[in-house]
Amino acid sequence: MLKQKILIAVTALTLGAAATTAAAESVTFGVQAPITGQYANEGQGIEKAVRLLARQLNEKGGLLGKDVKVVACDDEGKATQAALCGRDLSNQDVFAVIGSYTSGATAASQPIFARANILQTSDGTAEQLTQHGYKLFFRNAPPNSAEAAFTGEYLVKAKQYKRIAIIADHSSFAKGLGEAVTASVKKEGGNIVYNGFITAGSQDYRSVLTTIKSKNPDVIYFSGYYSDGGLIRSQEKALGIDADFVGGDANQNVKFGELAGKAAMGSVIINVPAPENLPYPEAKSFLNDYNAAYGENPPSIFTLTNADGMRAIVKAVQETNSFDPSDVATYLHSLRDFPGFTGPLGFDDKGERLGSAFQAFEIQGDGSYKTVYPAN
Amino acid sequence: METFLQQLVNGLTVGSIYALIALGYTMVYGILKLINFAHGDLAVLGAFIGLTVMTGMAGSGAAPANWIVIVAFVLAVLVVAIAGVLLEFTAYRPLRHAHRLSAVVSALGASMFIENGIMLIWSPQTLTFPEGIMPDTTFHYGSVVISATQISIVAISFVLMLALYLYVNKTRFGTAIRASAIDQDAARLMGINVNKVIVSVFILGPALGAIGGLFIGVYYRQAVFDMGWIYGLNAFIAAIIGGIGNIPGAMIGGLLLGLFSSLAGGYISSTWQQAIVFGLLILILLVRPTGILGERVAEKV
Amino acid sequence: MTIQTMRRVGGMIWVIGLVLPLIASNNWISILSIFAIYAVVALSQDVVLGRAGMYDMGHAVYFGIGAYTTAILNTQYGVPILWTMPIAVVVSALFGVILSAPIVKLRGDYLLVATIGFNEIFRMAMVNNVAGITGGPDGIFGIGVPSLFGYPIMSQGGLYLINWVLLGVVLVLMNNLEKSRLGRVFRYLKEDELAATTLGVNARYYKVLAFALGAGIAGAAGTLFASQLATVSPSAFIFMESVTLFAIVIVGGQASIPGVLLGTVLMFVVPQVFRDLAEYRYLVFGFAMIVVMVLRPQGIWPRRSRPE
Repeated sequence: MLKQKILIAVTALTLGAAATTAAAESVTFGVQAPITGQYANEGQGIEKAVRLLARQLNEKGGLLGKDVKVVACDDEGKATQAALCGRDLSNQDVFAVIGSYTSGATAASQPIFARANILQTSDGTAEQLTQHGYKLFFRNAPPNSAEAAFTGEYLVKAKQYKRIAIIADHSSFAKGLGEAVTASVKKEGGNIVYNGFITAGSQDYRSVLTTIKSKNPDVIYFSGYYSDGGLIRSQEKALGIDADFVGGDANQNVKFGELAGKAAMGSVIINVPAPENLPYPEAKSFLNDYNAAYGENPPSIFTLTNADGMRAIVKAVQETNSFDPSDVATYLHSLRDFPGFTGPLGFDDKGERLGSAFQAFEIQGDGSYKTVYPAN
Repeated sequence: METFLQQLVNGLTVGSIYALIALGYTMVYGILKLINFAHGDLAVLGAFIGLTVMTGMAGSGAAPANWIVIVAFVLAVLVVAIAGVLLEFTAYRPLRHAHRLSAVVSALGASMFIENGIMLIWSPQTLTFPEGIMPDTTFHYGSVVISATQISIVAISFVLMLALYLYVNKTRFGTAIRASAIDQDAARLMGINVNKVIVSVFILGPALGAIGGLFIGVYYRQAVFDMGWIYGLNAFIAAIIGGIGNIPGAMIGGLLLGLFSSLAGGYISSTWQQAIVFGLLILILLVRPTGILGERVAEKV
Repeated sequence: MTIQTMRRVGGMIWVIGLVLPLIASNNWISILSIFAIYAVVALSQDVVLGRAGMYDMGHAVYFGIGAYTTAILNTQYGVPILWTMPIAVVVSALFGVILSAPIVKLRGDYLLVATIGFNEIFRMAMVNNVAGITGGPDGIFGIGVPSLFGYPIMSQGGLYLINWVLLGVVLVLMNNLEKSRLGRVFRYLKEDELAATTLGVNARYYKVLAFALGAGIAGAAGTLFASQLATVSPSAFIFMESVTLFAIVIVGGQASIPGVLLGTVLMFVVPQVFRDLAEYRYLVFGFAMIVVMVLRPQGIWPRRSRPE
């Protein structure tokens, strides 16, 4: 809204003025995340994780002896706010930015940080994020194309679904993933009986689902976010549709289960492993710290991929003994098998994440996830 | 055919909810010629009050589900009716004789105030209703599925609407309401206490709205603080379709809008569903601005 | 204070605004920059609402059409920002004509509801990425900055001056409208349409003209908005934006230039004063709207009736 934008602009400016007078013996990490709004849950998780990592660094004497500070900017998951956050954080002379959560908000701030010579790491999975040639941008979660390839294989080869319905929303992330999955299913020789869109946040998906029901699918795939996915699953069951439900990675959120209620059981979500299922000792210890600090688990895996992005940058600073963004970027582009919370981590020369495998999880009666594919 | 019937069932459920909320708009408009922009937010307030009661009582496990539902609805109705009267006294009554746009802006301010009040009290996140409180029985007719919740929503809405219709048309005070809607000055000369009528409208409308809002909550099992405006807008469109100011019109308008919206989403385009509804609204305004049952409403100048 | 003195004082304030980039902090320049853009949109809303008396609660549409026109022309076809402005004005004005022509016959609240409908349809068209050119819910980013004589204007101060000049032009325009026959026709239509029609005024023509004028001016502001933020997205042109513009005019004072400007300022000063309240700000804002209306139903700085 108008007032909000103005407010952010004004806050940005005053904060910017304040930041320039701050002591030089500190380094500032920015968080750009949807701290309020539809994806508030995820945005707050990212901010909490970054603040926790900063505190842990400071307890060990800081980063190359400098005190680590964190400033956060709320982009509400909206592109316009994201552009304002870009200006705001740049004005505050941040060294690196963690975020944002949504691809759209990330894409809107990317050029601003690139121009201001600021490192950025985001979980945004839209393909385009790494295709602009921004040398300081690093994607900390695997892209849509990797997920789509896995999804196609799961739906067609592993589960042998014969009649596949695909739903997306119009966000750049969900639309991109939906299209990629459609392509991948076709490539695998699958049969798509319905392909359509919902309007995110409209609560009532019965019209679409009733139409889908008449196509008699054996699986419904949804590429959008948990806030809609949970309701779609619940309304699917309420309408007596027998089809399985498979959701893209953005459905993996504790809220999905709450919204879907009993219907959540049996739905399948495709993503990298959930925070609590991560086998790595670094991850377990960080989860303990997070729990001790905030009394809750991180809302989703993206809290941890973003934490990994920040840890990779910290690692690069320590190894290169430099705060020069281009030194750090050069190091990161050749990083391989760094022990991340979310698995071995590295980046290619475009800043694309290397390592980490997708899995299909089934939601159990008690709300926990069970890996169903690949079976091992 | 069964797909079509299923769309009708879905549409009828949503339509009943629209109709309940639309009644509040139409009654206020009928008497004050004011679009009460805060009405949708009052309905949402009802959903949140109900949510708190249900979560609290279901959590304690002491009361049976039926009682929880009844207490939730009664409290929601009470609180929202009080809020409605407060709204009338603070935001609208002082502007009774001012330029009508001042009251419109006051209503918009009230809407913002209530919406953000809800956000501050209950958090900006989407909250979910506990499971197992509403019966999850379903009935199957061929492939058409009707849930007990849907049946309750439609049935209770019809009973409430019938009761309101009888109250307004068959009782003395109802006659006073109708008289005040037609001509306030004449009603006053006939010894009707118009202020009392207005207060009663700000009790009845929000009370029905609260029930509608709580229906939204239990039907979708979720509530979010800013959903008031879209449901409010749809209910308002329903009121216009039926003929603004006309009580049976709001009921018919709500049902028609629910059915139309459901069919548009199912057969034309789910992405453009809401846009098609607005298209219909503009078309109706152009062809028959007084709606289906409405008579020409005199402009208050 | 006579109208002439007021005009002179206003002109002086505007001139002082021109040299502001030399002395004021970036902080203030940025605030005034956005103020200038929204003041122009608010004045354009006032043409339709305050002057011609039509309850337009979907004015953000025209602001948005201007901004999207610039965004699309600049990012897709590489048209320089300032060249997109006349096109944005024409496109917005055209939409003003097309959308208003069928509905200007509607009275009061019916028109208000129809314009809300337009606003929602516009938002949905942008979200649904109509014709594949609006970028969906994320909108369009990477919009360039204006250039003058081949030099791109990158600085905050430079962008501000362009906005300030547009505000100046629109203020002169409003001032002339105030004195012109057209302005008087709008006023007659607002105060007594029947009488105006009896005197031979083609009501429909002038009402559509008011929409075209208001939409065109809003379109020009849209161009500068797109360039100022480097991005446009549907969320910047939603119904709540229209509500805010509507409230600026009513809270400030209908058909009153200082009133509308004051209303716009309040949209800045109020949130600033209550900045510490953070999430309470909209609660306070809503409350303030009620209080202002109850205390000053005519607006804070109502139009002065003056001899015709």
